[in-house]
Amino acid sequence: MPLETENGVHYSFALEYNGPPLSYDLPRAVPINVKQIPVAAVVSHLSLPDKLSLPVVKPLLPAGPGKNLSKELKSIVSQKEPGSEEAATTVSPTLVIDRAIESNQDCRLSGELTSSGALEFSTGPCGSPCISKELSIELLNGGRSSSTIEFSDSFDNKSRESTSRLRVSNELSQDWASSESVLSIDYPSSRVSSLKPSGECHTHNEGNEDGRRARVVAFCDVESDSGVVGGDYSEELGEEEPRFVRVKREPQSKGKKGTCYRCFKGNRFTEKEVCIVCDAKYCSSCVLRAMGSMPEGRKCVTCIGYPIDESKRGSLGKCSRMLKRLLNDLEIRQIMKAEKLCEANQLPPEFVCVNGMPLSHEELVVLQSCPNPPKKLKPGSYWYDKVSGLWGKEGQKPSQIISPHLNVGGPINVNASNGNTQIYINGREITKVELRMLQLAGVQCAGNPHFWVNEDGSYQEEGQKNTKGYIWGKAGMKLVCAFLSLPVPAKSSNSCGEQVNSMMSRSVPDYIEQRTLQKILLVGYGGSGTSTIFKQAKILYKPVPFTEDERENIKMTIQSNVYGYLGILLEGRDRFEEECLAEMKKGQSSDEADSIGSSNSINCKTIYSIGPRLKAFSDWLLKIMVAGNLEVIFPAATREYAPLVEELWKDPAIQATYNRRNELEMLPSVASYFLERAVDVLRTDYEPSDLDILYAEGVTSSNGLACLDFSFPPSAFDDKFDTDDPHGSLLRYQLISVHARGLGENCKWLEMFEDVGMVIFCVALSDYDQYAVDGNGCSTNKMLMSRRFFESIVTHPTFDQMDFLLLLNKFDLLEEKIERVPLTECEWFDDFYPVISRHKSSSNRNSINCNPSLGQLVFHHVAVKFKKLYASLTGKKLYVSLVKGLEPDSVDGALKYAREILKWEEERPNFSLSEYSFYSNEASSYSP
Amino acid sequence: MSVAELKARHVAATETVNSLRERLQQKRLLLLDTDDLIEVVAVAGYAKAHGKSSVSFGATDLVCCRTLQGHTGKVYSLDWTPEKNRIVSASQDGRLIVWNALTSQKTHAIKLPCAWVMTCAFSPTGQFVACGGLDSVCSIFNLNSPSDKDGNLPESKMLSGHKGYVSSCQYVPDEDTHLITSSGDHTCVLWDITTGLRTSVFGGEFQSGHTADVLSVSINGSNSRMFVSGSCDSTARLWDTRVASRAVRTFHGHEGDVNTVKFFPDGNRFGTGSDDGTCRLFDIRTGHQLQEYYQQHSDDEVRHVTSIAFSISGRLLFAGYSNGDCYVWDTLLAQVVLNLGSLQNSHESRISCLGLSADGSALCTGSYDTNLKIWAFGGHRKVI
Repeated sequence: MPLETENGVHYSFALEYNGPPLSYDLPRAVPINVKQIPVAAVVSHLSLPDKLSLPVVKPLLPAGPGKNLSKELKSIVSQKEPGSEEAATTVSPTLVIDRAIESNQDCRLSGELTSSGALEFSTGPCGSPCISKELSIELLNGGRSSSTIEFSDSFDNKSRESTSRLRVSNELSQDWASSESVLSIDYPSSRVSSLKPSGECHTHNEGNEDGRRARVVAFCDVESDSGVVGGDYSEELGEEEPRFVRVKREPQSKGKKGTCYRCFKGNRFTEKEVCIVCDAKYCSSCVLRAMGSMPEGRKCVTCIGYPIDESKRGSLGKCSRMLKRLLNDLEIRQIMKAEKLCEANQLPPEFVCVNGMPLSHEELVVLQSCPNPPKKLKPGSYWYDKVSGLWGKEGQKPSQIISPHLNVGGPINVNASNGNTQIYINGREITKVELRMLQLAGVQCAGNPHFWVNEDGSYQEEGQKNTKGYIWGKAGMKLVCAFLSLPVPAKSSNSCGEQVNSMMSRSVPDYIEQRTLQKILLVGYGGSGTSTIFKQAKILYKPVPFTEDERENIKMTIQSNVYGYLGILLEGRDRFEEECLAEMKKGQSSDEADSIGSSNSINCKTIYSIGPRLKAFSDWLLKIMVAGNLEVIFPAATREYAPLVEELWKDPAIQATYNRRNELEMLPSVASYFLERAVDVLRTDYEPSDLDILYAEGVTSSNGLACLDFSFPPSAFDDKFDTDDPHGSLLRYQLISVHARGLGENCKWLEMFEDVGMVIFCVALSDYDQYAVDGNGCSTNKMLMSRRFFESIVTHPTFDQMDFLLLLNKFDLLEEKIERVPLTECEWFDDFYPVISRHKSSSNRNSINCNPSLGQLVFHHVAVKFKKLYASLTGKKLYVSLVKGLEPDSVDGALKYAREILKWEEERPNFSLSEYSFYSNEASSYSP
Repeated sequence: MSVAELKARHVAATETVNSLRERLQQKRLLLLDTDDLIEVVAVAGYAKAHGKSSVSFGATDLVCCRTLQGHTGKVYSLDWTPEKNRIVSASQDGRLIVWNALTSQKTHAIKLPCAWVMTCAFSPTGQFVACGGLDSVCSIFNLNSPSDKDGNLPESKMLSGHKGYVSSCQYVPDEDTHLITSSGDHTCVLWDITTGLRTSVFGGEFQSGHTADVLSVSINGSNSRMFVSGSCDSTARLWDTRVASRAVRTFHGHEGDVNTVKFFPDGNRFGTGSDDGTCRLFDIRTGHQLQEYYQQHSDDEVRHVTSIAFSISGRLLFAGYSNGDCYVWDTLLAQVVLNLGSLQNSHESRISCLGLSADGSALCTGSYDTNLKIWAFGGHRKVI
């Protein structure tokens, strides 16, 4: 047992007990639903099961508020008739059983317990082993269900579940709702005293502490401004789980309010912190225990996750003196931040009505994340003029001008602001104050005109085209508006472009971000072009794809890459020269065996030979490369060696080597792109173009992971089809590009990506004849390695329900290569027998309907192979798309396809089966 | 020398290495009869003979006294400050949270530029925290620096140079300027934080380095030049920071990825935890395995060891398992003393990390259920 000091802060752990040995067993928590006792404190010793200190059901007469029941328990219990409908609450030294207690069964149970055993138990010292075994068993049977309820207060559905269980097992005849209402009527007036002397509280462990509170069911009083919504609220609350307000039973029957809800000490003048959910009050020595680490602000540990008491919304984020004394500034700041920003404490959207329509989650998010959100939004009903952005409470003048054109709520009512001036702005009859303002602004209001006011204050009469003026344009209008307490437009909402920008840069709270951010994981085996697609996406969707620094880095990377390629060429040249010489020697030695010495000097010159200066440079470069510090010599190398490189590149020997580049295994396919421009690239003033960046290896995500937040720019196509999508523009996507190696051995870290919306798997079509050395040191076809990686990813338990989009990349390379190398080079595709008429194919290369090209046939074949593989592994359909990573449109199309899949995932449950199959066919148009 | 020739040589060399390794293992086995008899079999037997009985724990001797709630994603890593009451934790929600363990309150919540964080560490002075993850960068944050307008703490240093994810990092004791990281690029790196450059790289190109991702490092508390690393190649290696070229010793024995390594308090031994479900204790001087900690379960499912920690005396070994168990082992007798996973208020999910406070009075566990819990001795027993 921990040693608790009475007054001091008792949160130092690992204190030893050094008191005298205890002769009795320590009290222990009833091991019922242990998991649901949310305490963060020391639990005392667990004793034997037959010495359970069980909850004792003790009915209470509603007529007996304020009485000390300890001595009268017996009589009360005997008076109490089983099955009475009266609200009953029970008291026990350890546990208080609520709400289900007035059920017949429990009353009967308590009737049975009229025996002295119950009394003894409840009056005796806590944990005293004076209950007979039978009784405890009985208590277990009877009490377990009720205590289940007792502890299940933290989750809505759990409490329901347990009630229904109770209903089944205990034949609870009462209606759930009615019992609640009975309770809510009766309980608050009755002050029930505990049977225990207060000193015993300290012997209790934390586990029981929780249960020591009685609970009163009460409907929360939501501040509603209009009768219209009022009905909705009660309905809402009727269906939903009612809110519980706990009332702490006081240890002494003084009936005194104001003691701490946990230690029962203090009076109403001692400073206390209040739970923003249940209104429980804790003194300074208990608050940290009772509220734990406050992940959602000042809430009891048991209240975490519950919506807050609306009447306390105003005090959110305002710290009390007591907390400031207990905790340091940093801690306070974190708590208050959490209190203000955590999701559970946000305004429930259905409590906000705009133009008579309760909001949905998305609408509230739209409203709160717009550039000019309504200030201090409280539950209530509001009107909103979408054209001008005017915002006000239902039946009142406008209070603010928020961002216009938000798609929230219904259309505005004529009498939204309850005006009677017969002058209309955007279909709303304005109030007298507004009319006064208009008059002061010099607007002609004679003849009850109908105005059309835009967000910038320009107004026109309905039915007319020309703008008549600007309401807020006149000097002094701000003052007038301030005087009449009318809003003026905020400055930031001037232009549309600014709005978008400010929206992107605004830091939105996490919970909104989480809801609107869709994550897409882009993976692929090395060389499959994931990084090209990633770079392409960056260029496509970012206004500034690469910063100055990044460009500088990219330039360095490209240049060092080119040096690398050159090195490979030089190495090849050495080899070719050697081979050439060897051959020559062979030829010579067979021809003229006599004159060796003289011929050597002549024949040393082959087409692969270079001059001594270049030779020195070449040797130096090779040495540097072997040592592996090619990066170290930059950027000095560019300055010094650019002319030398030019000379080298133009040297016939290098050109000859370059012509034999197919024999150089190390040389990547992109090398030729850069080598042919080597002279330009290696200049100091070289500026990489977008295409260069796309071609360059190792520019982004070379170190495993890169992510990119973007949203699809609205296009003409989108406008046409997505206007019904209210939050389409708000949706943001995060493209996460990971290297196969970045996931660790056996994809160990794939579980970190469990929250992604879909996975894009990238395969290079041109890999079918490429070989790479795998982990075991043997050379394997890269396509097969891709397949192995694909298999391990799609079967990974993390991605059990994930959708996969297969991108078959590098189609351009394939088309070029397939003419030379047959697809059957890869054993996986050895059943590829294309039926193709060669002479026709060239003319109809791009038309899939007439006569597909060989490349397209290959694509289909590979796609089908992967689809079959996927279906056999997961039983689901694989989405496949064709991509040329170097073409922006192609990548854009693929990512938009990914977006459609994500949308489709959300909507799929809404479609019937037949429609589903129709859609899925369409989605994978290349399926066999 | 042609490529084919080189390849042939390589194959031959590999064979030689393998045969040598085989011989080494056989020699070890021979030695096991004599040398290790004293050490292994008998760590337990010897102890019994000397009347050492197993540590026994009641259900309430070690209790959960704090629950640190605040993360919204799986907790991946935690670290205590040497000054005993602060904890930094890293979670998949992309945040580092610095906790005051006494009040269980947050003092800092640092939003990371890369959400995929795998490890975090407190500097010896408690002024800096380091973290690393899939972005292959080890980022250092100064807790005393002012936060920017969004309330985020700016990075004070980025240590970039790894070519794979940063799986683990630890500050060199008593030095705020040096840090050792382990990475998915098969290497460990000693960093000089002031310059942001690598002081030495351990492994990688060299033959005696790890041949797979390195998952964990632990620096010897009594001799900070020595550190040990655990890797996916199912070995642990001992390194001397002055000799980057080769590992001092390689410890074989595990049959799965070595997820975690931790030096024994006396600095002459270290413990490992692996995907094969075992924890082992190795002696760095002899290179032998001293003890194996494995609990047989009725079902054949292997529970991976995710994280380990020793008590101050070394008598207890805390090991977190992938199924949410957290065993307290008696290191001497290799018996399970207690399972924290079966206690009240235990974690609901995998225990991913655990650590003992500097004075040994409290244990903190982090779990995939997004919570951290602090356990302390609640019983009458003396702290061991």
